[in-house]
Amino acid sequence: MFLNEFEIKQSRIFFEKGYLISEIQEKESLKYISDFFVNATSSYSTNIKINENFLDTLNDIHNSINVEELNSFRLFIIDSMAKDKKFREHYYFLSKNLLDIVVGNELAMQNRVNLSIQMPNDDSSLLPIHADTWSGDSPFEAVVWMPLVDCYDTKSMYLLSPEHLSKITNFKSGDEKSNDLFEYVKDDVEWIKIDYGQVMIFNQSLPHGNIINTTSETRWSMNCRFKSLFSPYGDKGIGEFFEPITTKPMTKLGLNYNFPF
Amino acid sequence: MKLRGYVFSRPFMNERVPQNIQNLVLRDFCNKNNFKYFLSATEYAMKDSHMILEKTINEIGNLDGIVMYSLRQLPEKKSYRYNLIEALIAKKKVIHFALENKYIDNLSNIELIDEIINIISIQNIQNNFIEKIANWHE
Ligand SMILES: [Fe+2]
Repeated sequence: MFLNEFEIKQSRIFFEKGYLISEIQEKESLKYISDFFVNATSSYSTNIKINENFLDTLNDIHNSINVEELNSFRLFIIDSMAKDKKFREHYYFLSKNLLDIVVGNELAMQNRVNLSIQMPNDDSSLLPIHADTWSGDSPFEAVVWMPLVDCYDTKSMYLLSPEHLSKITNFKSGDEKSNDLFEYVKDDVEWIKIDYGQVMIFNQSLPHGNIINTTSETRWSMNCRFKSLFSPYGDKGIGEFFEPITTKPMTKLGLNYNFPF
Repeated sequence: MKLRGYVFSRPFMNERVPQNIQNLVLRDFCNKNNFKYFLSATEYAMKDSHMILEKTINEIGNLDGIVMYSLRQLPEKKSYRYNLIEALIAKKKVIHFALENKYIDNLSNIELIDEIINIISIQNIQNNFIEKIANWHE
């Protein structure tokens, strides 16, 4: 393969661990997205305590909003994200260096960036262990995951690394609740340690999820799927779920080519 | 905005959706966007036919446009696709695609829709190509 040393090294880590974490180099995009959350959060309600430090505001959001109100708050923010014309573009820019290595340079991106807010001890918005491919995603998709606060332990998400993947094929259970599957592999999963200012790309066909956040801070993270434009699509098709974002001139010409006579 | 529904009675680009489900999606899409939904026209089942779409465009009258279930239901042949959309736009009407939550109201925003249709067509042809790449020797 014609890859430079850096690419070879990064690819090897991705194969081994199932993810890569990088410092966000596009500081402008990071600022755009951070500012967006400050504005969106403060425009939701004047009751929200806005700290001078952006991280404190988000980490402590459970002091201003209770669990009952969380869903409408989350929907409000997600709606604002969808309405912001530049949001997805910045999300792409800040993960571009990782996408170049792991996915490609001619890409399809999910139409909407997802937001997850996990307050301390809240069991209402958990994501039990799963791989996206198990529910129809194409194995050619990768997830770009970006935290808005520092994430660690149960405030973060876990991923079952490829070396332990074979273990789950041995999993058999009378009742197929996925929590049991988590119990089965919980000593083998890796809790992702990642800080605000960093971004992660991970292989969504590896089992992952979260459990109740037992730290004293709220987790905020975003996720969005990317795939190579011409790789096979699963249940999530181009148009209704993915959109081309970096189509190259030769591809555009090829797509529109007609013989002259 | 008053929109005429448009659904398919045959598979489109390797997909099939029952008509009642297509209509449900249109109704929901119009509700969410505060559009007034007018009962759907159903395209003929004959291969490649878009006679009902042509008719709907010709008879659009004082409605504001069409809401189609999916952009995959547009004609695959580019020149035909452009002719139909141009005819609609010349009447200052709009075409919405409910599934993809997109619309065309002038010729400049046809490009993305076009690119998506072309990519889908290519995807449908190239599926056996994937196997060759997968078995490529490094
Ligand atoms: Fe997932």
